[in-house]
Amino acid sequence: MDCKTASDLLPLYFDGELDRATSREFEAHLDECASCQAALIELDALRQSLRHEAARYKAPQALRTRIERAAAAPVAARALQNRVRWLALAASWVLAFVAGGFTLEAWNHGSASVSEESQLTRDLFASHWRALAAAAPIDVVSTDQHTVKPWFAGRIAVSPTVRDYADQGYALIGGRIDYVGSERVPVLVYRHGKHLIDVFVLPPAVVPAGTAPVRQQGYVLERASMGGQAVAMVSDMDETELTRFRDLVDASSRGE
Amino acid sequence: MISTPSRTVVDELALRHLDAAYNLGRWLLGSEQDAADAVHDAYLRAARACDTYAGGNARAWWLAIVRNCCLARLAVRSKDTRNVAIDGDPAAAERWLPHTGADDIEERLDSSRRTQQIDVQLQRLPVVYREVLILREIEELSYREIADVLETPMGTVMSRLARGRALLQKALTEDGTTGAPHGL
Repeated sequence: MDCKTASDLLPLYFDGELDRATSREFEAHLDECASCQAALIELDALRQSLRHEAARYKAPQALRTRIERAAAAPVAARALQNRVRWLALAASWVLAFVAGGFTLEAWNHGSASVSEESQLTRDLFASHWRALAAAAPIDVVSTDQHTVKPWFAGRIAVSPTVRDYADQGYALIGGRIDYVGSERVPVLVYRHGKHLIDVFVLPPAVVPAGTAPVRQQGYVLERASMGGQAVAMVSDMDETELTRFRDLVDASSRGE
Repeated sequence: MISTPSRTVVDELALRHLDAAYNLGRWLLGSEQDAADAVHDAYLRAARACDTYAGGNARAWWLAIVRNCCLARLAVRSKDTRNVAIDGDPAAAERWLPHTGADDIEERLDSSRRTQQIDVQLQRLPVVYREVLILREIEELSYREIADVLETPMGTVMSRLARGRALLQKALTEDGTTGAPHGL
């Protein structure tokens, strides 16, 4: 990684918005670059100043009382359609604090390892978002599955089955390596219209139990099987679109 | 008393994130009374405007409403700048006094003075940079959440954050070095 790229990525790294693979590369550059180190130290000094020296004003008790009083006042009952929407908000809100700031609308109850499951889900969403925030969500840019597959083989223990669905409107555009928990996994990146789809090839150890789609902040996660391997897909496409892609992938796997 | 599920959620949301809302309002408006009023407005608006919530992060949705209420107050205030509230806090008063780089040299290393410097310099920043710094550094929101609060693309968040940090660093450096030539 050259210094120009590193200095572009520096704030993203500092704010915890880079995927882990890119973070590692950045750290490798950081070890050797005094000016990037200095810039990072400066950003951190500013943050410490703001956190410890700038005032974080607490809401006065009078305001709290005002809001509590307003909350206790009766309101006209709302239309039923709003209730459904708000129940979803309620669920996401409750989970937001469980998940430490993530709104996780996971409806996969009854799974024996819900916490592990939601940890996995969070990792997958976080990887997808970081990749979107990074300069490029792709380490190897190629629309050719015969290029993408060997690229992984040189860098990671597993060489995933790579398929292209360009004819059906979901074009392979490349791949990257990302982390799920502490495992390095291959991620295949597809494009559909303006949307990117990340397909995480999951190691056997972390195959999720649930099958229902999970929604979070306008993104959807689906699971499928691609060429006999378990995969998780994350995208900001709407659910029906992503489900269509999932069914397509599942069907092509069965056709083998 | 009628209580709908939606109402309960807004109440809990507002009360749970009341400090974050007030802190944002206080930094945007600079006055305790205005901040409290803006948060109260925001609560009433949130309780009425359930249907504007389109999924996603609830805290970001609530803070977006708070921010809009604050900006509305700022717009009214800038039309009538003669009514600037100088409240009892010295940092606010100092904003309206002529500023020189040579104030209180002997107190420079005093931590309360340092705190005041940060406050003053942060208040001096244009609102677009101030708010993004408050949300990221003090409230610790992610880029995605900040983008939701500001209702802007993530790229805008990143560029404003970078610019805001650079401006604040520069201001603090100039403020901290006595007699440093300005206009570097």
